[in-house]
Amino acid sequence: MKKALLIVCTLLICTVARSQSQSHMVINEYLVTNVSDFQDDFGQQNGWVELFNTSYGTVDIGGCFLFAWKKDGELVKYTIPKGDVLTKIKPRQHVLFWADNLPKHGTFHTNFVLSEIDSIAFVGSDGRTYIDKVAIKDCGEDVSYGRIADGGDEWGVMPNTSPSTNNSSLDAKSKSMIMKESDPIGWILSLTSITVVFLALIILYLIFRHIIGRLASRSTQAKSDKSVNAAEKVNIADHSSETFAAIALALHLYNEENETHDDESYVVTQTHTDRSYSPWSSHIYGLRETPTLKKNRK
Amino acid sequence: MDLLLQNLKTFWGYTGFANFEWSYLIMIAIGIIFITLAIVKDWEPMLLVPIGFGMIIGNIPLFAGLQVGIYEEGSVLNILYQGVRQGWYPPLIFLGIGAMTDFSALIANPKLLLIGAAAQLGIFGAYMLALALGFSPAEAGAIGIIGGADGPTAIFLSSRLAPDLMGAIAVSAYSYMALVPVIQPPIMRLLTTNKERLIRMKPPRVVSATEKKIFPVVGFLLTAFIVPSGIPLLGMLFFGNLLKESGVTKRLANTASGPLIDVVTILIGVTVGASTQADQFLRGSSILIFGLGALSFIIATFGGVCFVKFFNLFLPEGKKINPLIGNAGVSAVPDAARVSLNVGREYDKNNYLLVHAMGPNVAGVIGSAVAAGMLLGFLA
Repeated sequence: MKKALLIVCTLLICTVARSQSQSHMVINEYLVTNVSDFQDDFGQQNGWVELFNTSYGTVDIGGCFLFAWKKDGELVKYTIPKGDVLTKIKPRQHVLFWADNLPKHGTFHTNFVLSEIDSIAFVGSDGRTYIDKVAIKDCGEDVSYGRIADGGDEWGVMPNTSPSTNNSSLDAKSKSMIMKESDPIGWILSLTSITVVFLALIILYLIFRHIIGRLASRSTQAKSDKSVNAAEKVNIADHSSETFAAIALALHLYNEENETHDDESYVVTQTHTDRSYSPWSSHIYGLRETPTLKKNRK
Repeated sequence: MDLLLQNLKTFWGYTGFANFEWSYLIMIAIGIIFITLAIVKDWEPMLLVPIGFGMIIGNIPLFAGLQVGIYEEGSVLNILYQGVRQGWYPPLIFLGIGAMTDFSALIANPKLLLIGAAAQLGIFGAYMLALALGFSPAEAGAIGIIGGADGPTAIFLSSRLAPDLMGAIAVSAYSYMALVPVIQPPIMRLLTTNKERLIRMKPPRVVSATEKKIFPVVGFLLTAFIVPSGIPLLGMLFFGNLLKESGVTKRLANTASGPLIDVVTILIGVTVGASTQADQFLRGSSILIFGLGALSFIIATFGGVCFVKFFNLFLPEGKKINPLIGNAGVSAVPDAARVSLNVGREYDKNNYLLVHAMGPNVAGVIGSAVAAGMLLGFLA
């Protein structure tokens, strides 16, 4: 029973984990009417739907679905084939599906055309989890509609179609260049950073000074109170480091007298006495059994 | 006979002598100086011996295509160098450092944390100076981190911000860490009065095992939430410390603080040394980096000592801090703390500042990792 429960839990976790990674996929851009825009590998111009992996890990969309609702309400399901290496979408990358109703052309050709579709959805491999759903809007010939920034929430008409590439060109300037323009002397970054370093350590200081230190001190005192007689209460904090130094010196001298100390100065040697036996290190288990002669019975 | 001569001539072309340039000899000489300093003067031998020998390995003149050079893709050295290039080694070293570090001094007297923060001034002082000298902000950030006096952090940050300068930055950081006993004492003497040097601090309180166990978890959560970009370093540092303090993972702590850190130190030292090929290293920028590195150490020491003097203005008599532990805010553990002890004993034979200096010293490790995270977040 316990084993069965464990298996069910493991499967459930795996399913959740899988759908979680697939949940990072979004419908990013689509083109309904393709007249003179990009062509597919067969030289045909058709509408397309672009998906985008918003995560920083590879997502396998094999086995997932594209659901398309026609204008008359009919649902068309396209299953993304499993086992195609191209369905493993790399971090922050795009994948393009040609909506040409020609699924025989390959993995990335759907069984519907966008001009007939009212809305589409990207559905997880369980066939039930709606990961992303958008209404289809025809923006005219060769004009696509998509998220202004890849994976962003804001949608709009794209100035240029951008299948399998970024919807908005990334800022060519690196953070370093931006910083050079905004803070040429470097004092803003320096001041910000040193403030943050101080802030982090001040918070740590306050936590340890006022919360953890006091709690631990109380707990130590409570333990100490329990362990000694009421008449002879010992406060550990009363012991100065000189006490410990004296103990260490006594141990050192003891070891020296007993010649257990090595040549290093100012080092107290504690001799290790545990016997760490393990069958893995036992020679007996590495040997074959001694063959014995069997006497024939007469 | 002609064939034999031809073969010998071809062989000569393969040798280091045929490809020799004076710049290689200079780098080999620097490598030998590093090894000599480590053996004769006992300056950071664990680092200078591997780096010095790595410098010799990396500066044997080669011809391209032999597939042995550190910058030739697929060569053995190149594969080992990926740990530096991709930043795998520094977090592993931090794991070992965490497993070796005792944060008791810091927990007993948490206000010493602030000295660790003040000493990070060296990083940002050097950053601004590097900007003024014409380095880009990313390069300036990588150079500035030398002031953190933390070799693994310097390698980690420079591999992300300025990979071309990494060799010079790493060698500079480790060289100045070895020179802490030479650089810091004059600055400490200059900034303190005789009265301040004689301040005796109260022995720290006993820290309970529970506090030691809580510290890495709380410390990590807090610093990582504030500076998530520092997670590789901070995470490994505090994780290593938890292995040590939990009391139930002794074997793991022993491995992290022993064999693991030794292996990674060997690999990081040799590959960083070998990455200083003369044609990549002997440039004007390297000399500037060395100059800025020295300044960053000076500013860091200045920041730590002056902060303690300032802090003392608000502390009652009897609770004042000896400013000679201010230098220990740079995270050269435990050398900077030893410097505090030695300078302190010059003025009072019975004033043992080591235990107090260890507080800002380990706080410096946390502070430099947080500062590195900040620079990474803003500039990468």
